[in-house]
Amino acid sequence: MKKKLLSAILCSAMIAGTLAGCGGSSDGGAAQAPAAEPATEGEAPADETAEAQEEAPAASADGEEVTLTVLAGQSTTDAGIEDMIDEALAAKYPNITLEWECTGWDGEFHPKMQQYMQSGLPDIIIGKAQDVNTYASQGLLGEIDATYLDRGLDAARENVTIDGKTYGLVYNALYQGVYYNKTMFAENGWSVPATQDELQAIIDDCKAKGITPFASHMVDTWSIGNVTMQFMMNDVFNNTPDWGDKFRAGEVTFADDKAAQTAYSYNKLIFDNTYPETFSTEQTDCDARMVLGEAAMKVSGSWSIQNFLDIDENFDFGIFPFPNQTGDSKLIFEPNIAIMTSAETEHQDAVNCVLDVLSGDKDLAVEILDFTKTASMLKDVVPTFTNPSQVDIDEYASKGMIVDVTLGNNQLVWGGFQEENASDIAAYLQGDISFEECLSASDARVGSSSAQ
Amino acid sequence: MKKRTMQDKMNRQYLLLILPGMAIFTVGVILPLLLAFRYSVTSWDGMSVEKQFVGISNYINLWKDANFRQAWWFTIKFTIANTIVQNVFALLFAVALDSGIKAQKVYRTILFIPCLVSAVIVGFVWLKLYSNVLPELNEIFGTNINFLLFGDGKTVLSGLVIANNWQWIGYWMLIYLAGLQSVPSDLYEAAKVDGANAVQRFFNVTIPMLAPAITICVVGITTGSLKVYDLLVSSTGGGPGRASTSVIQMIYATAISGRQYGYGSAMSVTLVFILLLVAMIQVKGLKSKEVQS
Amino acid sequence: MAILKRAKMAEEMNQKPYTKSTLAVQVVMTVVALLFLFPLFVILNYSFKTKKELYLTSPLKLPDSLQWANYEAALKKLNLTTTFTNTFIYTAISVLILALLCGITAWAISRGKGKFFQFSFVYFVIGILIPFQALFLPIYTIGYKMHLTNTRYGIVFMYIATGISFGVFLMNSFVSTVPLELEEAARIDGCSVVKTYFIIVFPLLKPAFATLIIMQSFQIWNDYLLASLYVSKKGLKTLTVAIQSLFSAQASDYTTAMAAIVVSVLPISILFLSLQKYFIKGMTVGAVKG
Repeated sequence: MKKKLLSAILCSAMIAGTLAGCGGSSDGGAAQAPAAEPATEGEAPADETAEAQEEAPAASADGEEVTLTVLAGQSTTDAGIEDMIDEALAAKYPNITLEWECTGWDGEFHPKMQQYMQSGLPDIIIGKAQDVNTYASQGLLGEIDATYLDRGLDAARENVTIDGKTYGLVYNALYQGVYYNKTMFAENGWSVPATQDELQAIIDDCKAKGITPFASHMVDTWSIGNVTMQFMMNDVFNNTPDWGDKFRAGEVTFADDKAAQTAYSYNKLIFDNTYPETFSTEQTDCDARMVLGEAAMKVSGSWSIQNFLDIDENFDFGIFPFPNQTGDSKLIFEPNIAIMTSAETEHQDAVNCVLDVLSGDKDLAVEILDFTKTASMLKDVVPTFTNPSQVDIDEYASKGMIVDVTLGNNQLVWGGFQEENASDIAAYLQGDISFEECLSASDARVGSSSAQ
Repeated sequence: MKKRTMQDKMNRQYLLLILPGMAIFTVGVILPLLLAFRYSVTSWDGMSVEKQFVGISNYINLWKDANFRQAWWFTIKFTIANTIVQNVFALLFAVALDSGIKAQKVYRTILFIPCLVSAVIVGFVWLKLYSNVLPELNEIFGTNINFLLFGDGKTVLSGLVIANNWQWIGYWMLIYLAGLQSVPSDLYEAAKVDGANAVQRFFNVTIPMLAPAITICVVGITTGSLKVYDLLVSSTGGGPGRASTSVIQMIYATAISGRQYGYGSAMSVTLVFILLLVAMIQVKGLKSKEVQS
Repeated sequence: MAILKRAKMAEEMNQKPYTKSTLAVQVVMTVVALLFLFPLFVILNYSFKTKKELYLTSPLKLPDSLQWANYEAALKKLNLTTTFTNTFIYTAISVLILALLCGITAWAISRGKGKFFQFSFVYFVIGILIPFQALFLPIYTIGYKMHLTNTRYGIVFMYIATGISFGVFLMNSFVSTVPLELEEAARIDGCSVVKTYFIIVFPLLKPAFATLIIMQSFQIWNDYLLASLYVSKKGLKTLTVAIQSLFSAQASDYTTAMAAIVVSVLPISILFLSLQKYFIKGMTVGAVKG
């Protein structure tokens, strides 16, 4: 009886509270609003004297002021491109302002997306190609007009197209593999290894000469996850392109599949042949050690180039795919920045203007690619930065020995699966759990291996 | 009889005074908690429209989740270590500063400044300290101390406790210092007359007089440590392996990155209940001590 | 009286020459202080280096020349005037409302008789324990439905909602020290409940308010979670959110990030240093109960 009364009082308190709460809070808001207002002014470039707008999409750009919201999930190398885009946009469509919200793709991006699913997505979302698979299936993304897609490479469309509709404009691409110190390789008479035996020979020679074979940074779990997917691509997906689907169908498991186990075990190979402080080292320090000649090789991706060249612009390096058991490894290619749009934007015309600038402004593209040290996914756009590893990339490309990692990332998603498995692998390397436990942990996670 | 109606009348007015605060609190804090409870009995992924009801199966699965147990184990160790180390050193430093040394204010300021830096940054700075800066001292002094505390599951806890203490000791020290300075000196003199030595005076006069400060500090440090998250994000990221994954971090990873919002919510609800229990026991225990003294 | 006497005694002691034990304490505390300063020195040192120096020279080596460019970049990225003003406004308004609200709520709870009032105390205190990181999606959902997101009053509302628990908990212990006789006397004089509070209780709680305001200011000033959920728009951002996004985005360029840390900590440090006396006084009273 008492309880009932109590809950009745509480309920009425809550209801009364909702009303009183709103009133009270808006009072507080009114009091403070004017005080801080001036600080926010003066950001929009209000230059109305637009240049002649050639090929302006649709009726949009007739001077009406539009502000678009942009959520950008960036890699560390991408920070700063928002300023370049703003500048290029201001030159062509001065009436459009972008309101950026830049987050780390690895960190706040997905939480923000989930948050905005409650309240409506920003007009433009910049993420990675694999995000299209995650979010388009929820019906959140808008289809991108062929005008802009046609300015990109055909290969760019493949993994951002669902049921014949393309939801992402892939802007640039990363390459992943083993970066190696060319000078060191030449001095020691090593040639690029194509098989595990050849790689082992180099490792043995390194050890004999007191050289650390691999630079690595395992404090970053993402790095372990990333290299594991590289290994999976060449040892697992190479032979079984639908391995992830079979995994979910119960036809294969990590506990039984030798190829998957091999891929996991390469982590141990790296761990045994890197410096002891790898679990205290993060990426920038690791890149620095590579440049300073403290290690011969590093399994990584294009995101390291920016660091390499920042530290020493003359550092000479190449890239090769991490050798698999069959000796036919392909260099890994990953569509990176993917521009997506909200299915429910109120400013489709303005969004198209932005897409027009991004896909059509070649100077901007070159500027961004040079800054991020990445490869172009737009037609007739070639970055001008010196990339010592470009020769190698071109060679693998000409032999058709390149594979798109989105294949693997779409089947076995990053968040909740690859990322978690990477933690297990780290625990295994640390000796906390056995290899078998590590494998069965991945198997137990099968339910979260797909975004659907 | 008349008194009773008087009290009723007053009670009504007191009730009215409580309502606005309660309303704001309910909307901003309790409603989200109830919502989390609702999610915790579903298999919602945090994105799709339907939220399928799964009963208490999420809670049952929690029992079997070894990673969740490990996260709890780490969090508990971190909390216990922090509560002890932080309280002891904060009190010790406070006593030292109160012992009549010169330039007390300078020390006070220096020890206090770190708590103005946000925990995410503290984590990053200590990552750099352990991996790059401190090993350099080995080179200079020719010593061989293992500074790579974040690099090994066995030392990562100590590394984090050090970083956390660097940030917060000064804050709690201020509270103790304040408490110390308000202990009436007559009490000390009386104890002296009774023939108590310095140590006895500390335990028989200082500590009892500091009881309210101790309550604030212990509860503050414990509940803060149980909720540790920011510090880990930019330092160990929960690693190596899962050695420093805290409960909150695991909730975040499960509910957000792992798209198991329902399951993650079950973790949150569990955490809230356990926090509640701990704090209730603590406050009861400490309060009764306060009364005794 | 006793307090005054003791403070005076401490001052006298400061003038005294060292005894063996005070000298030892002085030396030990100097070492401790240096250890505490060391990480701050590292931050400062990094913030003036070029990216190359960072990798090629010892981390302990002073920079060849001071790289003010790092600071320029940090200032620009942090948008300091806006973010600082925002943070200041959110913090100030929230703590003032909190002080008003918590004082009267705690008082009413402690004076009211009956189970409901006991229950409400527990009900409020639960809030201290709630891990908001774990509830961020529901917090956002509710905020959005009530049109609180991306507004200034929304974030203030949330700071009050989340701060009220600690406030009531803290004020509760002070309220019990206010002598009931005074209140009863006021009531006999015909004061209403609210008037009694503002005339009798409120002035007596002043020191407690100082404590509450200071402790909550810290919390709110350094808050990341709620600010990132509720005010993500550019003009509304707080300093912590700005520095955090700069930090996660510029992890590879941490000379700039370190400069940003210095820039963001400097104003609040100066504020602390110049108001230290009041600050500590405020905190003190809280810890030892008026």
